Amino acid sequence: MSEDAIWLDGNAIAGLLVEVFGTELTGARRACQSCGTRALVGAHRVYRGVGTVVRCPACGDVAMRITTLPDRHLVLLAGTWEVEFPVPQA
Amino acid sequence: MERAALLERLTSRRAPIVWRTATVREIVPETVQGRTIVLVVPGWPGHRAGQHVDVRLTAEDGYQAQRSYSIASAPESPELSLTVVVFEDGEVSPYLVEELQVGDEFEVRGPVGGYFTWRVQDGGPLLLVAGGSGLVPLMAMLRHHAAQKSDIPARLLVSARSIDDVLYREELASLAGHDGVEVTFTLTREQPEGWTGASRRVDVEMLRAIGLSPTDHPKIFVCGPTAFVESVADRLVELGHDPASVHAERFGPTGE
Repeated sequence: MSEDAIWLDGNAIAGLLVEVFGTELTGARRACQSCGTRALVGAHRVYRGVGTVVRCPACGDVAMRITTLPDRHLVLLAGTWEVEFPVPQA
Repeated sequence: MERAALLERLTSRRAPIVWRTATVREIVPETVQGRTIVLVVPGWPGHRAGQHVDVRLTAEDGYQAQRSYSIASAPESPELSLTVVVFEDGEVSPYLVEELQVGDEFEVRGPVGGYFTWRVQDGGPLLLVAGGSGLVPLMAMLRHHAAQKSDIPARLLVSARSIDDVLYREELASLAGHDGVEVTFTLTREQPEGWTGASRRVDVEMLRAIGLSPTDHPKIFVCGPTAFVESVADRLVELGHDPASVHAERFGPTGE
């Protein structure tokens, strides 16, 4: 199997991100600490194996790692994350 | 603010994304390997065209399997439709395509995905490129376009192995040629007698022939298997389209 067949977009783990962060995160913007590329989380590359690894779409540096254990998710974040949340309106 | 608009704002902000029980209301055969599952989901908060849901199946012994599927129905549709094409060696899709019956229940979570979406208010023109069942979220966009009676120019290029593998054939034929919608097919493996359309993989010439140039600043959505999306996205950038305008959604073995 070629390497490009094994990765998906950040979109693919939108549900998992909601489960972990409690909000839609694919529209969040992240700046890579290695190459400086700014990209939406939904446009990052996702590799799924034992855990889930999210990588910069430009240089492949690790942006996030989520490992799911029976009772909890372990999350590692790297780089600069800009996240917008709507303020609940009265 | 109009009541309906206010309600939409409130529900879209407040409705939690949780697992909900979906009941199969109808099953519509689409191709030999694919069918549309029409669901009733109490409490469904509504969606935007292009979003997907997570589907969770639970076996009698408690074993669970979870996959993501694109939503095929327009946001305006009262029901939630998923079109599933069977993946060989898949664990979930063979069940959904071959076993599932009307009245069966499973869990869905969503809608999710805030990146690969389009609403008429986002404007156009639209350039949509589908590889195989990558047509599903793009169909939701065209259905939304039709439901809103939009005349935003929309060009859809569908790459399929054969004419029998093309999802929504009749509906695409009825949408094409109206309200700015044009549909082009390329059949890469097998062509019917007298086929005058393209029969090769998507290339620069084919994308150029669709007629939206980089100066039209189209909103571009490409969906299909990973290798297909990679190739099409590269060709689009080669043609001069802004990489930032190319929204991609790939699916592959790890997605099923």
